[in-house]
Amino acid sequence: MIRLVRAELAKLTTTRLWWGMGLALLLSGVALAALVAFFLTHGSVPGLGEGLEITDTLPALALARMVYTGAAQIGYLLTLVVGVVVIGQELRHRTATTTFLAEPRRGRVVAAKAVALAVAGLAGGSLLVAGALLGGGTVLALGDLPVFPDAGLLLRTLLLQVVALALWALIGLGAGVLIPHQVAALFVAVAAAWIVEPLLAWGLSFLDWGDGLAQYFPSQATLAAMDVYSDIDPRIAAAMGASPEQLPWWGGLLVLAGYAAVMTLAGIWLTRRRDVL
Amino acid sequence: MPVPSENQRAAGGTAVSVRGLTKRFGEVLAVDSLTFEVAPGRITGFLGPNGAGKTTTLRMLLGLIRPTAGEGLIGGRPYAALRQPLHTVGAALEATGFHPGRSGRDHLRVIAATHGVPDRRVDELLELVGLAGAARRRAGGYSMGMRQRLGLAAALLGDPQVLLLDEPANGLDPEGIRWLRGFLRHLADGGTTVLVSSHLLSEVEQTADDVVIIARGQLVRQGPIEELHGPPTVLVRSPQPEELARAVRTAGLEGAPAPDQGPGAFTVEGASLATVGDAARAGGVTVHELRALRTDLERLYFRLTQQQDPVLAQPQPDGEAP
Ligand SMILES: Nc1ncnc2c1ncn2[C@@H]1O[C@H](COP(=O)(O)OP(=O)(O)OP(=O)(O)O)[C@@H](O)[C@H]1O
Ligand SMILES: [Mg+2]
Repeated sequence: MIRLVRAELAKLTTTRLWWGMGLALLLSGVALAALVAFFLTHGSVPGLGEGLEITDTLPALALARMVYTGAAQIGYLLTLVVGVVVIGQELRHRTATTTFLAEPRRGRVVAAKAVALAVAGLAGGSLLVAGALLGGGTVLALGDLPVFPDAGLLLRTLLLQVVALALWALIGLGAGVLIPHQVAALFVAVAAAWIVEPLLAWGLSFLDWGDGLAQYFPSQATLAAMDVYSDIDPRIAAAMGASPEQLPWWGGLLVLAGYAAVMTLAGIWLTRRRDVL
Repeated sequence: MPVPSENQRAAGGTAVSVRGLTKRFGEVLAVDSLTFEVAPGRITGFLGPNGAGKTTTLRMLLGLIRPTAGEGLIGGRPYAALRQPLHTVGAALEATGFHPGRSGRDHLRVIAATHGVPDRRVDELLELVGLAGAARRRAGGYSMGMRQRLGLAAALLGDPQVLLLDEPANGLDPEGIRWLRGFLRHLADGGTTVLVSSHLLSEVEQTADDVVIIARGQLVRQGPIEELHGPPTVLVRSPQPEELARAVRTAGLEGAPAPDQGPGAFTVEGASLATVGDAARAGGVTVHELRALRTDLERLYFRLTQQQDPVLAQPQPDGEAP
């Protein structure tokens, strides 16, 4: 199994994908965190009347959390894409034959891919967080705001952001297996995460029980795991797009891990059954 | 390390057996209760026209396609039951790809990593198949023949006892084909089981010891390639056709005039050159030509695989001409 994981890691590092993705994660971390920090330090709270600065109403911890997770949504989209591509390109470039000749127990191959992806996702997530600390931290410092308040809690948010990005990569892996056409799989996965899910959440918010359901969606669970909206005045949180009901951080983490597990297992199950053509 | 030892090879090698393999893709019966054996230490040509089911059979044998019925065994075990399978079986299949952005060397290194094969072996193989110069270039830029060579190198990575090659000569230059023939012979002499698919008999005629011919997913013929020729036929030519016919009959042989072989030609079935020569001398007949007639294998193969006659499609393991 260790050899298989090593081979899968070698696959990731022997094409240009890894440094392209690494760079994208780092840069989006820098840029988006800086951008969020800029808006938060220069903006006023919509709906709360003029003249009330956001920095006055938000605790320092909440502000830092928002800044450093500002690139999370782009980040998990990117790791989702890597997950899809890891399986999609084996089919697209017809290397699946070679892969399954070397290890005919195909479930193990998919499991090895999941482990390699988790490693890559953690590395990519760390890059994004490093970028965010750099970009967002600089802007916060320039605005004379605390750069790293409440170290313990903030650290938890950052760690869980890294973990969440890795879990999204596994969701991508499952999607790549379920839709065995790479371009279609990419399209569906990205659309589901960025368009379908928010639309559905918005639609559900009109129903009494809708918000209760929406908090279990992967994007909402990700935000919950990172604790982005806790400690914030609910009215402000709502203005920032938080759904009224949020899971606790561990609940968000468990839900997201659940999605990753289900998708990975579905990928293993399907890959074992299919013909390799 | 489970590298096959020389002893293991000497002790009989690893046979491949296909038992009643059947695959149905929706409406298409791609492979239809196919049964045959591939012996170690020999080169077996796996022949059939386009769409006959060769690739599908190989993929079932390698556990890539789930058979509708039957099984394929390698040394008595299904492929999926082999641990470190590349040390037992090397395969290069049609429509196997490479990531265009990965170099040929990295492609092999990724496979090698699954079996703990060192980079040294990878470089050896690149040298062997003549790709050393292009090894670090992106495989997307490789020519058809270079891809074929890379596929072969991948098959050889684990130093396998069994080699399954799907149309390996495709895209190779004449030099490459000649090298491949010599190389496969060398491996077979060392005890390796070699199965090479092709849709041309002429392509494997010079290399193969045995042939398995399929058409429309069914076995048409299986056996040593010499047996394809059928019983020997002798051509004898004489300026005295009547006397010759009498002499042959007197010797108790079956003969017939063969005008398509030129004037005064006569063919005798199932006799050696010596018997026919002796018969002519005994009858006092002048002989101008005496030689063995080879069956036109290409024509025979064409007839075997094109024939719609269900009788012909029956397996004829005794190798007798239809
Ligand atoms: N995935 C598939 N789905 C449907 N039909 C298929 C599939 N793969 C193969 N077939 C059909 O099965 C039959 C056998 O195909 P196969 O590729 O095994 O032939 P082949 O002997 O390798 O031919 P060639 O000499 O052209 O390579 C063909 O009729 C083909 O159309
Ligand atoms: Mg084929």
